[in-house]
Amino acid sequence: MLTKQELLQPLASLRTDEVVVTTMGVVRPWSRFSDSRLDFASADSAMGHVADLALGIALAQPHRRVICLNGDGSLLMTLGSLATVVEAEARNLILFTVENRTFEITGNQAIAGAGRVDFAGMARAAGFSRTYAFDDPACYARALPEILREPGPVFVAARVEPGSEGPLSRSRKGEPVAYLRPSLAESAHRLREALAK
Amino acid sequence: MAKARSIVEALCKVGVTDLVGLPDNSSAALFALLKGGGEPVIRLVTREGEAFAMAAGLWMGGRVPAVLIQNTGLLESGDSFRGTVQRMRIPLLCLITFRGYAKLERVGQRSGEPDPHLLSRPDVDSAALLTEPTLQAWGLPFDYLHDEQDVPKVNASVEKARRLSTPVALLVTRDMT
Repeated sequence: MLTKQELLQPLASLRTDEVVVTTMGVVRPWSRFSDSRLDFASADSAMGHVADLALGIALAQPHRRVICLNGDGSLLMTLGSLATVVEAEARNLILFTVENRTFEITGNQAIAGAGRVDFAGMARAAGFSRTYAFDDPACYARALPEILREPGPVFVAARVEPGSEGPLSRSRKGEPVAYLRPSLAESAHRLREALAK
Repeated sequence: MAKARSIVEALCKVGVTDLVGLPDNSSAALFALLKGGGEPVIRLVTREGEAFAMAAGLWMGGRVPAVLIQNTGLLESGDSFRGTVQRMRIPLLCLITFRGYAKLERVGQRSGEPDPHLLSRPDVDSAALLTEPTLQAWGLPFDYLHDEQDVPKVNASVEKARRLSTPVALLVTRDMT
């Protein structure tokens, strides 16, 4: 099993100009490794839909890679998104599922099928030609450079230890995480501006 | 009835690049028209809630999307609509095909709160009954596209969405031809 740091730090160190979209339990941890105008937190938004959102960005920006750090509970809410991603043939999309087997930000209640659902297997069955499942940090770190280079859509399931991230909110005052200070609308408009440059 | 070709031409004229959604009987002609390619590009989803999130991403990436779904799918999409395009203040045309509109017209009940009897009557489509109240409750401005002469409302709705920086719906009440 990986810690969140073992998942995110190698990714942040290899990241160049990719858009990184986060949600739920990785929103705050990602900010410890990255402070990019191309980071987007799907927080204060619609749970379950971050993969669809990242797919839209990827289709609009075909020459730039888009990395989506989804949660396992979130993915289960919209499993059809896997088929949608495959149908769209987004070669620049890397869809991570951070598999902590819980709804972490509401107190680590177990998700349905915790520990029994084969996320990479589901992605394969939906038509992803490149899928990975990691529970060893060294294997993950070794494979990551190639994962970031190869044509997508790529699906990566990473088993991580549940953390203790609390509820997400956005606030201009007192919010330590920079990309949670603007409103969701402001964040969305800022990313559009950044991608237009 | 509006022609699918007229709607596509109106969408192109106003700069819509992507049409995200799912076909139904009412929009089948439009999907068939665009099947061969060209703009707007059809972006298929498996469930309508995905459409709003994908449209939000397309817009953030610099495209000009519109959504095309049935009213039944709109009802499914509540949280996705709220948490993406509405909360993000994305100017978005939502073309909503209005299943059950003709039956509703025949019944004549268009105002007041829908009651349990009406909602379960076999000659009334409850999706149709709930469409306008839902749009009102969600704060989604809307207009009607009944036939060919209403096609200019595509442009007016997109302009309104841009002016207000918010999604705007156009209810397509009859099958496209």
